[in-house]
Amino acid sequence: MNYRDLFSGIAFLIIGASTVWMGKDFFADAAYVPIGAGALMGAFSLPLIWRGVKSILAARAMTDSTKASNTEAHRTQAHAVPALVDHPARFATTLGCCLVYYAAMPIVGFYTTSALFISLLAVLLGERRPAVVAGITLGFITLLYALFAVVLKRPLPVEFFLAS
Amino acid sequence: MFESLLNALPVALQFESLISLFVGTLIGILIGALPGLNPVMAIALMLPLTYGFDPIIALGLVAGIYNGSMYGGSIPAILLNIPGTPAAIATTFDGYPMTRKGEGGLALKTACWSSAIGGIVSALALMTLAPMLAKVTLAFGPAEYFWVAVFGLVSIALLVGKDASKGMLCALLGVIIGLVGVDTISGAERFTFDTLYLVGGFELLVVLIGLYAVPPVLEMAEKRNESYFNAESFRVSPGGGALGLLRRHWRTWSRSSLIGVAVGILPGAGGNLAALLSYNEAKRKSSEPESFGTGNPVGIAAAESGNSADNAAAMIPSLTLGIPGNLIAALVLGALMIHGLQPGPQLFTRAPDVVFGFMWQMLLTAMLLLLLGGMVATRLFAQVLRMPSALLVPTTLVLMAVGVYTVNGNVMDLYVMLGFGLLGYLLNRLGFPLAPVVLGVLLGPMAEQNYRLTMLIAQNDWTVLFTRPISLGIVALLAAVLLSQLWKTLRQRVRSAAHSQQR
Repeated sequence: MNYRDLFSGIAFLIIGASTVWMGKDFFADAAYVPIGAGALMGAFSLPLIWRGVKSILAARAMTDSTKASNTEAHRTQAHAVPALVDHPARFATTLGCCLVYYAAMPIVGFYTTSALFISLLAVLLGERRPAVVAGITLGFITLLYALFAVVLKRPLPVEFFLAS
Repeated sequence: MFESLLNALPVALQFESLISLFVGTLIGILIGALPGLNPVMAIALMLPLTYGFDPIIALGLVAGIYNGSMYGGSIPAILLNIPGTPAAIATTFDGYPMTRKGEGGLALKTACWSSAIGGIVSALALMTLAPMLAKVTLAFGPAEYFWVAVFGLVSIALLVGKDASKGMLCALLGVIIGLVGVDTISGAERFTFDTLYLVGGFELLVVLIGLYAVPPVLEMAEKRNESYFNAESFRVSPGGGALGLLRRHWRTWSRSSLIGVAVGILPGAGGNLAALLSYNEAKRKSSEPESFGTGNPVGIAAAESGNSADNAAAMIPSLTLGIPGNLIAALVLGALMIHGLQPGPQLFTRAPDVVFGFMWQMLLTAMLLLLLGGMVATRLFAQVLRMPSALLVPTTLVLMAVGVYTVNGNVMDLYVMLGFGLLGYLLNRLGFPLAPVVLGVLLGPMAEQNYRLTMLIAQNDWTVLFTRPISLGIVALLAAVLLSQLWKTLRQRVRSAAHSQQR
């Protein structure tokens, strides 16, 4: 059964209502747009919630008829909703690596962390050729260094071994 | 005027000037292609270095960087779904789907030609219509800007994606995100939750990269060894040729270039608005609007010619009236002042070679894009897709991190980018279009500020929003878009009802 429209509609309704509720306390005309945008969001979320409820009721009716006829085809059709995340393990690995990368960057330094991040995530995502991983990591980091440190002189987190 | 224009041509064609155009365009393409770096930053960094040069050489570099970056922004937009510059948002809609279908080469070529054509039309408008068009900008007050912002927001929310209510919800979400921070008129804090980070509001580039670039990278990571890009059929030199492109896109190029010029002369309305309005118009005029967003090259042609046509046109109010329409125009005025030239109407009589020479340079750099864009981008950057996806994921994430970090030098921006990335991923999976969110962040504050300014000036008399002729024209256009959308929806319902009855 697909609850997505219903839940996303409710989420937007909550965001809209919260915006209006918080917006009413803003100073004078600074409140107009928050209240207006929140109210409109609430209004536009209603058709979505209505559609969600309708589709759930239709799916329920279909499930009942499936139970009655008990055919496999009907059952498959009633439950065919694509997953929200295709591959949770890879998804979580990528997100986890990103969080560690961002946390380590100011401590370890930009170039070192980035080199480690590229190599580690590539291996975790299934790249098993050490020469390719090392070559691309080195080439990419050198390119970034040449551009950001040498040419543009943009300040990036300093390497731990260079920090005084 | 035309005599001065012709006299300035040899100045623009001097060897040193040509070298500055070449170098500027190359730098511009590179700057545009790297998310986080923008032409404003590049020009600001470079202007002090040109202090000892002839003004025409300094302006040549500016012209090259400006035009080059507009095209450069489309390269990561097409190849990686990362808009290199905010003006490249609309290019991602069809550019990235084309890359995934194995038509990345054609997408880059279309973007290159479209940018060049838009730039050429814009430069011609600057050369021929500058004084006349400058007067138009004076007729635009806050009420007109308010309606321009509302028109952009509503029409995109309705026309991008299949579901109008989802589009509107996303646009409103963008407006609310854009409200975070200190209110520029009253100085009051809104939705900051007493957090110092939120006082300045969300940085546009952080929101943009998070919403647009993170979701496809996460999808790429999930698919890992499966073929994410159709790299086998990726053609570096796609067939068809320039004549084929011209035959296919001349209508779109003409329409979008005119929209770009019109938006360009309005101070404050940037290339992103020009690109989105052009895309919107191309979709509305198309006989197969449903193919937009799935990899239709017309979408790229519209977006790229629209945003590039904004470039030279944005210089019209600054060169003729001394009012800079955007940050780059302000920097051009700064460059002129560094070299002892006072911007304003008298500039045309005091230094005609420099002003008209700069106009020629804008035209020449737009033409140079065909050579450098085709050579550098299509042949070099396109090779990115040949990288294994397990390596493309982390390198793209590092590129995003460096791009976002260099904006404010704040690591918190990286977490915010990831947060917006997850939001974008979720919205994508739930069938919500992302373009209206970004447009809400961009146009929401513009609409709000101009609405409040209008009310302040008119002493809360709201009828002023409907009584000025230009405002009324934009309202009529908005009503036409709403009615045409309503008509389409009703027709679809009648058709589907008839179809189900037949069955």
